[in-house]
Amino acid sequence: MLWIALGGAAVVAIALIAGSLLLRGGDDTPSGGTTSGSTAEVDGIPQDRTLLGDPDAKVTLIQWEDLQCPGCLAYQEGAFPGIVEQYVRAGKINVRFKGYTFIGDDSEKALRAALAAGLQGKFWQMQTLLYQNQGGENTGWVTDELIRDLATQIGLDVDKLEADMGSAKVTAQIAAMQKEAEQLGIRGTPTFFISVDGGTPYQVQPDAYTVEAFAPIFEDALQGS
Amino acid sequence: MSDRFLRVAIALVAIAGAGVAGYLTYVHYQPDALVCTAGGGCEKVQDSDYATIVGIPVAVLGLAAYVAVLALVAWDTPTARALVAAIALGALAFAAYLIAVQAFAIEAWCVWCLVNDVVLVPLLALLAVLRLTATTSEPGVAPSA
Repeated sequence: MLWIALGGAAVVAIALIAGSLLLRGGDDTPSGGTTSGSTAEVDGIPQDRTLLGDPDAKVTLIQWEDLQCPGCLAYQEGAFPGIVEQYVRAGKINVRFKGYTFIGDDSEKALRAALAAGLQGKFWQMQTLLYQNQGGENTGWVTDELIRDLATQIGLDVDKLEADMGSAKVTAQIAAMQKEAEQLGIRGTPTFFISVDGGTPYQVQPDAYTVEAFAPIFEDALQGS
Repeated sequence: MSDRFLRVAIALVAIAGAGVAGYLTYVHYQPDALVCTAGGGCEKVQDSDYATIVGIPVAVLGLAAYVAVLALVAWDTPTARALVAAIALGALAFAAYLIAVQAFAIEAWCVWCLVNDVVLVPLLALLAVLRLTATTSEPGVAPSA
């Protein structure tokens, strides 16, 4: 019986370890120029740099993110599309992106690309595509080639984008966000705040990254409570 | 150690293991686990490529294994005992692999994963093998139906 058990154990262990090595989840490799994705979820919505939606909306969801943070990707995939569809497109809320680049060099490079795209009115398209092509943390996945490919995909002036990425304007934007993050005591990403009628933002913590988890937060804010 | 003692001990370890694996499964799907924190990385172990196999969280596989062990302990035939030992020994080898992954590939540690990999799985394997060898080498100990 022991030999049968050992044989069974060997089969189980080999299957699990082989599965883990060959079929593990995710992708740690840089994207290498093969880009993919769709910006349909944010297309056609008014945007002003990092603000998405009706600027006069009563409620603003402020989302502090690092573009190479897996948690932010989980939010982006799990809750953001529903929030945009049900609340932003309906004009109930708008969304303000704030970058907190603490993970590494790829964080800042990605944010620079998104902010530079914002100068051409497509911050949210670039942000969406960067998440869809997110690589492993600090693996150098934010390559010049990736940025050029994404910029081309959304119809940006690539030369202007590359120039703007290193501009004093974008540098100042990032510095201002970092300073604000420190003042607010942001410790990680994603971190969410709500502002009602342009008032002082207050932090909120959804139970999950689903639109259902955010719904009561928005409803309370829309009722002014 | 009596067969009854070993049977109860295996069940208790499996219950404890199911608790740990259940907690890790819960954490895997909760946003708190996915918040990237300054200085703390991004919950690298639970969020790493090695945390899933074909999209199935390793924690879920562990939970399923412990539930299977509990069912087999309840069934308690010679075949069930061999299966418990097979699962436990297979888990022992996989746990050793996961410790190596944390040490050398992810370079980060998950405390509850270690509780499982270093304490519970080896204990389960030891108890399962002891019980299997005891019952197969002592004809007088008849497995209960």
